[in-house]
Amino acid sequence: MIQTISNLLFYLFALITLFFAVVAVTSTRILRAAVALMMVLLGTSALYVILGAHFIAGIQVLVYVGGIVVLLVFAIMLTQTNELIELPCSTGRRIAALIGSGFFGLITCSVLLAEHFKVATPEKIVAADAAELGRSFLNYGPGGYAIPFEIISLLLLAAIIGGIVIANKLHPEEAK
Amino acid sequence: MGTILASRFQEWLVLSTLLFSVGMYGVLTRRNAVGILISLELALNAAALNFVVFNSLIAPSKVDGSVMAIFIIAVAAAEVVVAMAIFVSLYRHRRSLDVTGMNALKDR
Repeated sequence: MIQTISNLLFYLFALITLFFAVVAVTSTRILRAAVALMMVLLGTSALYVILGAHFIAGIQVLVYVGGIVVLLVFAIMLTQTNELIELPCSTGRRIAALIGSGFFGLITCSVLLAEHFKVATPEKIVAADAAELGRSFLNYGPGGYAIPFEIISLLLLAAIIGGIVIANKLHPEEAK
Repeated sequence: MGTILASRFQEWLVLSTLLFSVGMYGVLTRRNAVGILISLELALNAAALNFVVFNSLIAPSKVDGSVMAIFIIAVAAAEVVVAMAIFVSLYRHRRSLDVTGMNALKDR
């Protein structure tokens, strides 16, 4: 019974995620694409919950849905592209892109399906522990992630300052 | 819960591959810069999902995959901040975000 429900949930969220992913890349309205992206990210966070990674699911909703999508919507509003309908690109380019990404997906899928993975035994699969994750971030010994963690915080600081500096510049004529 | 997940392992991988392919198609066909960024986010999200799938189903006793997923989310946030600043600045200068018109450095 639990198996059936879990299967159903996996397929349901996988289909929702894939459907909205297709909407996000094909919609001619950019604002609609941003909303579809938000649905994709929510669907992915549901998939994380099915996987047992509850902490990552929370982070996904907080940072991606709460931060990145809002920022994208701001970018769309500030550049007034929400009223414009994006002109579709040429058919040749679209066919080339379809062939390229289709073959990428096909080849990767066939390689993955041919490969035999050593999947962990079911009783070993338990939910990832957020405390263990935190310890790993603060561990400066071998196998720890203390330095990458610090570098990420520096990267975020640099991105914030860079964003302010770039967006603050006035138009050449306005500056005069 | 674990039994079902393990038997579905390759389907998880196929799902994230398909998500990445869709994102790739978007990057190649979008004309609007914000649309390209949205497609790029899709691809990054698929990569993070793949990391978590491998972590949960291959090495559940470790947390390295989850750490990578968090790094991907943090880098995506930083990237969106800078990209948005560039788009706003670009829009001020050119009144458009159509990437097909951005060939000022092209040798004519």
